[in-house]
Amino acid sequence: MTDEMIMEAVKRGELQQASVLFERYNRRIFNFLARMTMDRESAEDLTQNVFLRIIKYRNSYKEGARFQSWIYQVARNIFSDHYQAHKNRFADFVGVEKVSDNMPEEESEMWDEREILLHRSMAKLGEEQREILILTRFQQLKYEEVAVIMDTTVANIKVKVHRAIAKLREHYFELEKT
Amino acid sequence: MEKQKLEALLIDYIDGTLGAADRLAVEEEIRTSDEARTLYDQLRLVMNAMHESSPLEPSGDLRKGFESMLKQEISGTGKGKSVFFQPSFYRVAAAVALLIVGGGIGFWISKEQRQADELAAVRKEMERTKQMMMAMLENQQSASQRVLGATVAFNDIEKADDEIVNALIQAMNEDPNTNVRIAALEALGKFHRQPHVRKALIASLSTQKDPLVQIALIRLMVEMKEKNITRELERISNDEEALPAVKDEAQAGILKLS
Repeated sequence: MTDEMIMEAVKRGELQQASVLFERYNRRIFNFLARMTMDRESAEDLTQNVFLRIIKYRNSYKEGARFQSWIYQVARNIFSDHYQAHKNRFADFVGVEKVSDNMPEEESEMWDEREILLHRSMAKLGEEQREILILTRFQQLKYEEVAVIMDTTVANIKVKVHRAIAKLREHYFELEKT
Repeated sequence: MEKQKLEALLIDYIDGTLGAADRLAVEEEIRTSDEARTLYDQLRLVMNAMHESSPLEPSGDLRKGFESMLKQEISGTGKGKSVFFQPSFYRVAAAVALLIVGGGIGFWISKEQRQADELAAVRKEMERTKQMMMAMLENQQSASQRVLGATVAFNDIEKADDEIVNALIQAMNEDPNTNVRIAALEALGKFHRQPHVRKALIASLSTQKDPLVQIALIRLMVEMKEKNITRELERISNDEEALPAVKDEAQAGILKLS
């Protein structure tokens, strides 16, 4: 059964079907939010809110719309709602040393030097550039799909990806030197 | 070739999406220019690192939370979590506002007895707001609920009693999550005129290990013009284990307070 057929069933009131969507998407949405928030605990909370919102607002799912794009749009909205009030409040002194502190220890221990540097370089990017790399590179979504999620054109996404990778490269090799 | 254009071409080359003519041009550039070669190697490294980055695994709590939420939704008694907090909070706020208006009318109509009753009701509503805030602050399952609890304290509580102050101090000093610690500190900053709070803030400066909270604390106490912390700031600025950013902040604090 496709995601869309399952979502239609949820919309008709078969709420139990939502657990299939949870199985298919919880890791991806959690990874997206964990890399956006850089805080595992908040990411779990927000992931649960994504699924809650999907169930509560199931009637706003438009028939024929691609489910994957929709769930990412919901996740983006949840992220932006949650962080609007706190965003950048302390960003001026968030040192890169700090970034992995709220990430799970076992993962930090497993990470090799390249991954730690990557993580720190990502933290130095602006929110929009970080988001576009998480979607297109870490989660490997197609540019077409990201264009739908971010409500823009494929050409625009492509330019943004180029700029974000170029910026990431700069940060990565600057940090490597230190 | 201009660097920005070369970077874009190299990225597409690594992705394997270039047409034949562009591909040949890029290969030629890599062969003949050291700068292009370095750029190519570096871009390939970061792009591979992103591609091969290991996914993060959510804890079992996520599934448990989802299952219990789904059960509640199916049985039709779902109350939701943080997303539904705000409307209910507004209802409480609206109720408080109505009661105050009610109190005013009561005063006009039937003097003291009536007024006393209404005031008691207002107090009851305030107490309810406080209990709601405390419950959020003590929610061990959810860091975002705890942040929200501290934010309610900051935005909606005019004067904090000991219970609130102690809960906020505990959150600032002991919460495992940085965002919660900082939100608690911010709320405490609002009540800094209460002597108990001032003492707790000063004490926290000597025990606090989280650099983000240390910096925020220093800034807050400099704003409060708290001269008693100068010695502690000197210790921090000479502490070899402190992060450079924290030392700088301590140094700046000493200058501003002197």
